Amino acid sequence: MPAFAMIDVVGFWVGIFLTFCILSFLYDDNPFYKLAEHLFIGISIGYLMVQQYTDNLHPKLIVALGEKDGIWLALRLVAIVLVILLFVKALSRRWAWLGRFPLAFVVAFYAGLQINAVANAELGAQIQFASKSLDDPKVDLNTAPAEALTSLPGSSPLVAEKLVAERAQRPFTSLDDATTRPSLTPAERQDLAAARGTLVGLDASASVKPGQQNWFGVLSNVLLLLGLLTSLVYFYFSVAHTGVVGRVSKIGVWVLMIGFGASFGLTVQGRLALAIGRAYDVLGRTFSPSDAAQIKAPYVSLISIVIIILGIAGWELRRRNGRGGPGTAEKT
Amino acid sequence: MSATEQKPAHWSEKLQTFDRRWIFLAMSLAIVIPLFFPLGLPAKPDPMTKAAYNAVESLPPGSRVFVSLDMDPASTPELEPFFKAVMLHLKRKNVKVVFGTTWYSAPPLVERYMREVVEASIAPAGTAGYSGAPDRPYVKNVDYVNLGFRDGKGAIIQLFGSDLRKAFDGRANDGTALDQIPMMSGIKQLKDFDLIVLLNAGFPGAKEYVQFVGTRYKLKMIAACTAVSTTDLAPYFQTGQLIGLVGGMAAAAGYEDLVGKKGAGTSGADVLNIGSIVVMLAIIFGNVVYFVSPRRRRGGR
Repeated sequence: MPAFAMIDVVGFWVGIFLTFCILSFLYDDNPFYKLAEHLFIGISIGYLMVQQYTDNLHPKLIVALGEKDGIWLALRLVAIVLVILLFVKALSRRWAWLGRFPLAFVVAFYAGLQINAVANAELGAQIQFASKSLDDPKVDLNTAPAEALTSLPGSSPLVAEKLVAERAQRPFTSLDDATTRPSLTPAERQDLAAARGTLVGLDASASVKPGQQNWFGVLSNVLLLLGLLTSLVYFYFSVAHTGVVGRVSKIGVWVLMIGFGASFGLTVQGRLALAIGRAYDVLGRTFSPSDAAQIKAPYVSLISIVIIILGIAGWELRRRNGRGGPGTAEKT
Repeated sequence: MSATEQKPAHWSEKLQTFDRRWIFLAMSLAIVIPLFFPLGLPAKPDPMTKAAYNAVESLPPGSRVFVSLDMDPASTPELEPFFKAVMLHLKRKNVKVVFGTTWYSAPPLVERYMREVVEASIAPAGTAGYSGAPDRPYVKNVDYVNLGFRDGKGAIIQLFGSDLRKAFDGRANDGTALDQIPMMSGIKQLKDFDLIVLLNAGFPGAKEYVQFVGTRYKLKMIAACTAVSTTDLAPYFQTGQLIGLVGGMAAAAGYEDLVGKKGAGTSGADVLNIGSIVVMLAIIFGNVVYFVSPRRRRGGR
């Protein structure tokens, strides 16, 4: 890959410096933090405006006004009129009511779009899933289609294909037999062996005879049903939450709390990943060795830290001497 | 002891007012130290990640895949490792790829990805620590097409579903007419692709794809999302509306494990484990301090 141009290298340096500027907020709301904050907002808005113009306004309005087709031209004129009406709302109190038309158009458009989509994808599919049978039959290795074999623990599309070919030659007599057939590679056998387990592993979800149940799966389905019903009871306000209903709704709260706990844990992971990403960048770990040699991220990080510490020290001294401008009163 | 003389504060009460920046410092150390001294903790794929891998693995060579890069720079630590891993997976299966995005902040990222991941070889022959098939650099408008960005949130996704060419005015991002690109022949809408791969950092993203086009056109879709979105999208995996889901950096590490090339996801997951331990310790510490507080035991708050 070609070396970065100098302007790109400077871009990386600025990125590292601004990262430390943002982190300096841990000390206090200081000028370095404010610089980074204002730059971020300014650049974001500038970028968004240019992009909206080049991607939307120019091709879909300005260029499109040259359209010869009468109907499409008329529709574009309607769009312009709606935009103008939106501005009227801000400019004139007397004619502000005109601004309701574009807002009504947007709200109605998205409501129509969303109702159909949500009814289709959320209500239909989710209710269908929630009302499925509590049964969870094991996958029969001797008759199941390749797709079902692929979903088994330790399996893959390639393993499933091999199992289908193997059973055509000689039906499986046991799971041990199925997972040690000669066409499987040592790595595939190892994966299947590692996935064995009577609770949630291969033994729990696959068999060589029809009609066997995955009891852990059945238990999961029962728990899912109970969790769903108790959560729904919690949100059912037409009956007072006392007695049996109260106790059931309390279980529903616990189910919800488990769900929120999972969300919280994943949120923490997401924030940690952000911190890891920045740590990688300021230490130059995301670059190839040649790029890292060009950017010299660790040195830039060190210099940035020194500049910020010296700057904040100077700013703090000025503030303590009463010459720091806004914020002086609160600190002293 | 006189009545006015105050009893010294209980240790738990002193700790309740300690500076939270000590936690930040502990977290910084937990993140930076493993970068220099990796522990090499295992990163095993979960069933949803494995299902995503299987969906790509079962594509025949020459298949065509649509990749929607609905992300921004803030989400790159979580999504970029998956993107690199799935691109290696797709490229070594010689799959043709069409890229698009509905995020205004994505185009500069997409350009970088085209340059560094798609048009360059990710794992050429002889790559250290990689024993899989090597990939080759993809050629623009031959092996891949970048359609670019289109605004419109859910509405534009709906148009992708019914008429992809119309949504992009019949042209690729570089202005080439889609009719002149052989790999685009026969592709009019999302349903014409063998698989849809969604990189999702929020709205609009995988959820909108499921709602507006996935269920309606019965599309085969896998998604990679930020960790925070995993619980939102997991129900779609259970119902089969998504046939695979890679949630966050830890799951991306699992995908890297399946593809056989360790990258930023694997090393990041190592750090993530340590960071998670620090968070758990902080939660336990906070609860202990709260529950042993004399004021709380007296019934106060």
